[in-house]
Amino acid sequence: MQTVDIRVTVNGQDYEKTVDCCQTLLRFLREELFLTSVKEGCNEGECGACTVLVDGMPVNSCLVLAAELDGKSVLTAEGLAQDGRLHPLQEAFIEAGAIQCGYCTPGMLMSGIALLNRYPHPTREQIRKEMEGNLCRCTGYARIADAVLLAAEKINARGLYGENSEVLL
Amino acid sequence: MADRYRPCEKFQQEGREWDRLVVRRKDTTGGESVIGHTQIRKDALEKVTGAAQYGADMNLAGQLYGAVAHSPHPHARIKAVRTDKARAVPGVRAVITGADFPEPYGQFIADQPIIALDKVRYQGEPVAAVAADTERAAREAAALVEVDYELLPVVNTIEESMKNETLLHEDWSRYECSSVCFPVQGTNIGDQFHLKKGDVEKGFAEADLVVESSFRCGQLQHTLIETHTATAMANPYTQEIQVWTPNQSPFGIRGLMAKIFGVPAEKVRLTMTHIGGAFGGKYEAKCEPIAIALSLKAGGRPVKLTYDRQEEFAATVCRSTVQYHIKTGVKKDGTITAQQVTGYWDAGAYVTTNPRVDYNAGFAAHGPYKIPNAQVDTYVCMTNRTLGTAYRGFGVTEAATLHEHQMDIVARKLGMDPLALRLHNCLHDGDTGITGEIISTCAVEECLRAAAKNVDWDSIPNRWTDEEGNLCGKGIACFNKLTGTPSTTSCIVKMNENGSIYIWSASREMGQGVTTALPQFAAESLHMDLDKISVTPVDTSMTPYDKTTTSSRSTFHSGNAVLEACADIKRQLCRLAAIHWGCQTGDVAYTGEGFIQDARNPERRIHINDVGRSGILHEQDPVIAIGRYGTSDLFDPPPVDGRQSRRPTVMWMIGAQAAVVKVNPVTGRVKVVKMGAAHDVGKAINPTGCLQQIEGAIVMGLGHALMEEMIYEDGNLRNGNMVDYKVPTFMDSDVETRITLVENGHPEGPFGVKGIGEPGLVPTAAAIAGAVCHACNTDFESLPIKPEHILFRKEVED
Amino acid sequence: MLPRFEYYAPQDVLEACARKAAGAKPVAGGTDVFVNMHAGKEHAGKIVDLKGLEALRGQQLTAQGLDLGALTTHRDIEVREDIRGPYYALFQGCSQVGSVQIRCRATLGGNILNGAPSADSVGPLLVHGAQAVTIGPAGERRIPLEKFYKGFKQFDLLPEELLARIFLPLPPDCAGSAYFKYTRRGAMDLALMGVSAYVEVREGILEHVRVALTTAGPTPMRSYAAEEVLEGQAVSDALLTRAAEAAAAEGKPRSSWRSSAEFRTRLIHDVTVQVLHEAVRRAGLPPERKAKAIPQRLYPGQIGKEGPRDANG
Repeated sequence: MQTVDIRVTVNGQDYEKTVDCCQTLLRFLREELFLTSVKEGCNEGECGACTVLVDGMPVNSCLVLAAELDGKSVLTAEGLAQDGRLHPLQEAFIEAGAIQCGYCTPGMLMSGIALLNRYPHPTREQIRKEMEGNLCRCTGYARIADAVLLAAEKINARGLYGENSEVLL
Repeated sequence: MADRYRPCEKFQQEGREWDRLVVRRKDTTGGESVIGHTQIRKDALEKVTGAAQYGADMNLAGQLYGAVAHSPHPHARIKAVRTDKARAVPGVRAVITGADFPEPYGQFIADQPIIALDKVRYQGEPVAAVAADTERAAREAAALVEVDYELLPVVNTIEESMKNETLLHEDWSRYECSSVCFPVQGTNIGDQFHLKKGDVEKGFAEADLVVESSFRCGQLQHTLIETHTATAMANPYTQEIQVWTPNQSPFGIRGLMAKIFGVPAEKVRLTMTHIGGAFGGKYEAKCEPIAIALSLKAGGRPVKLTYDRQEEFAATVCRSTVQYHIKTGVKKDGTITAQQVTGYWDAGAYVTTNPRVDYNAGFAAHGPYKIPNAQVDTYVCMTNRTLGTAYRGFGVTEAATLHEHQMDIVARKLGMDPLALRLHNCLHDGDTGITGEIISTCAVEECLRAAAKNVDWDSIPNRWTDEEGNLCGKGIACFNKLTGTPSTTSCIVKMNENGSIYIWSASREMGQGVTTALPQFAAESLHMDLDKISVTPVDTSMTPYDKTTTSSRSTFHSGNAVLEACADIKRQLCRLAAIHWGCQTGDVAYTGEGFIQDARNPERRIHINDVGRSGILHEQDPVIAIGRYGTSDLFDPPPVDGRQSRRPTVMWMIGAQAAVVKVNPVTGRVKVVKMGAAHDVGKAINPTGCLQQIEGAIVMGLGHALMEEMIYEDGNLRNGNMVDYKVPTFMDSDVETRITLVENGHPEGPFGVKGIGEPGLVPTAAAIAGAVCHACNTDFESLPIKPEHILFRKEVED
Repeated sequence: MLPRFEYYAPQDVLEACARKAAGAKPVAGGTDVFVNMHAGKEHAGKIVDLKGLEALRGQQLTAQGLDLGALTTHRDIEVREDIRGPYYALFQGCSQVGSVQIRCRATLGGNILNGAPSADSVGPLLVHGAQAVTIGPAGERRIPLEKFYKGFKQFDLLPEELLARIFLPLPPDCAGSAYFKYTRRGAMDLALMGVSAYVEVREGILEHVRVALTTAGPTPMRSYAAEEVLEGQAVSDALLTRAAEAAAAEGKPRSSWRSSAEFRTRLIHDVTVQVLHEAVRRAGLPPERKAKAIPQRLYPGQIGKEGPRDANG
């Protein structure tokens, strides 16, 4: 097969697309759906800038085929804010000074969300380990960890875990 | 939406209570309301939502995609280039080779073709380029370009380069050369730098001890997460060229492109996207000229060219390897009598920015020390490697690593504490620097002491073994770095109809926070809400001239320009208010609280935040002001013979860092336990912004000291990917960091500001290397210090 | 950008076998194949995606042991606490592959069949006595993992066969295992050297010892010489050091720009001592504490007397 028909949900929107078999999820999101928060950094799974969640799991979208996505659900940074309100992790990145050039930020956010789903009260050590796949050249990482801790506080304070956990996908 | 966000608690603390040391205030009481306080970044919201557009996010209707064929050989003569197979690929619209655009370019010497013409000089050099309907077609076609090469001997190292047996550039005189580049005909020397103060031989004769050492800093890649990219639309008939690019030097690139393509500068329009990391790596023209050439060849259709990671490593830029040999004469009490530095840069295949790197490093080669007899002789050596360029510090980071390594050796030979030796020799206001300059606003001592205090320097020995058997050590390093002088900038400050403010400035936001800092100046000056002020996107057809966003110059230079423009804005608003009120212009004053006030009738006043709805702008002269700043008048050009100058730079940046490390003797792995930093920022405009620069630089410097290097074998880059070229990960970032912001107001800086973009990095690798050397009781000879070096080390005996 | 290829995602294992026999490149997580394709090192014109094959799925821990589908991801192992206790070395290996994003995709089957000498899961699988189960038109074959390796990137696998499952016997309570991955940086790195060990300790005597070396030869390898030194002997510092010497003598690391053979050989010795200590220590832990993850580190103080501890005076 050279092409595959897929039905995929991206950021809550359903799409039916015919995709080239050799198209990566990264290129599909950027070029077909214009979700350019998904950044291409290395195409070898080493920088994490293209991280998205597929069925809640963080993956390097440069190493996933769009053809594999049939029936799956994808979340990118564009899908984080809801109803005009930023996701608590986005707020925390702003408020904790976790952003400099910003190129790694969307991928960091997606890894951060995956980690908050696994650890509602993460330690710094857990943050470092769970975000080890996202390179940042500007920040030295410490404030990104600050932001994740701040986000965990916000989420817990707002009771977004538990029954409303779909907020985090 | 942005005003909903406030700094988190830690962030706010940094605004009020960050560890700071005020040495001298300039134009500031410390009671300002906007500057000196941590502010939320202006660009945060668009970056966190994915809305920010970076280079490769640009797309134009009808665009073609570019791809480049690169040389697999590091050094070879091109006998023939055959492109027929590439042209036959369906969808290919243009193919170019060196013959199509033979004009070489270069900022200092025009030695580099856009696409290799007669020979290739590094592995990865472009030999042809293709534009096609799809990226796939373009890349497939590029892979089908056939080149006949006649292999030439490879010049791998500085040593091989200096033998001049194989010349990379046979005839320097063929190239157009600027007045600040000094190649040596018939050699591989692309540039040289000589500084001479006093007589080093006399100084060595006066010394009780003469110490000599050599040290090398390895070749580094910027490893920007965003690779190089450019989208160009160039019409061969109108000669209008437009490029969308994440470059950090819009006007520098504009001038270069105008020259390469033989069009007037005003025909070249660079529209700047967000930058995904620069650090000097996006200072050179890389994808821009190729994309323009392809667009011209394709009849003006837009062409987007984005390098992948392999190309980024092989075919862009890097930081040159540099080897210093330092000879120091010193008295028993530690007083330096003379120091001589001889250095060699492995500059790669083309000269590019190396003369500027060599120049800046030359002035910093002796560090911030009193040295009565000083000499520097450095050479830019051409090799068949990728091209050296600016890298966060323009050579000064390397120079600091090298001179501080020597200081540690001198301290050990004298049996002195490394900090004590530095304090004994460091420059103070009124001392004479190595160019004969009388030094001012120089807080090296304060920085050294604060950095030391931040790691409890006095309470720990140079080296010890901890209870687990780790070898522990401490190290300290200081530096002085100039900013490029002379340079000029300008800005336009424009009030919109609703009373908000646009700042048009070409200082590029690269993550360092300039688009937050410049509005802070305006907000402080006008007493206006920061939310009402923003910096416009940069476009060379509209934005006023700024030399470049490098050399930690933006807050200093553009800050001054913004303040000048804001003073004019105040005058204009007073005039409009007077007309509106029907009183004399002289009666209306701009108060210290931001009121435009009728002095005769103080009840009649408008706050700047309310100007938009006050009616004074309605159908009146638009409020628009120009700010300019330049340093030509302050500059005393250092002559080529000896480089003595009363003022070689408008601003010296000063700082120090100390490191405590733990070395596992079984694995040879180094853990940086603690970093203490102290940097003179003059005045912290956005304190968290300053801290961010230093924190990020420390982790970057940790990589430079211990992990990162480009490894070549016979001209072949072995580790051109992000697994094998090892930048620090989140897991490597666990360093206890304490930072002191020293404020020693600069007389010419806006509110006393000095630069902090590069300085955070300058002493980091030096301090870590010093600590590792102490821990292991070894003089390592190069960076990075790898576990192999540690396990097979030779300990020193004296 | 990936080169053009045809893509098949069969649900039926024999169809997948037939695709493979006809020349299609099997892909599971894609974290090696697609990286190589992006880099121009892999040019397969056809790809058969195995992720739809039920026969290759699942993880089951029973009284007999651990039955892992070849599609088990490294993340599957990393997050399963019940697996971590008895198979600690496997947890250590799997949790240090690449990054979370990679581990969510990369499979054990892929880690084995990519054939890298540095494969992090393979040393732990070897010391846990793993058996490879292949599937093909002629049915299943069960092969000890060390025999499944036939050389650098070569396996006892017919063109029409797939690696279906991996089986690890259940260790007794007196067993302990450990893996140490030596890297230059804290994450996303390849093992410059790796050592795995499995021991059963009964009344101070070592039994069923297995030691494996990673990046010490063309494939991950057992160090039979080290095992021979240890088997049936009473635990002592001197014994573990002798075993490490044997392992260092048996390893055949290469010199490359990544590091010298001399350095790697030294690492084999020093790391083996530590890994053996750790495996013995874990053997003594009560079962309920065996699942507790501890950060991986080497303690310089544990090194034998000939170690460089005193180098600093």
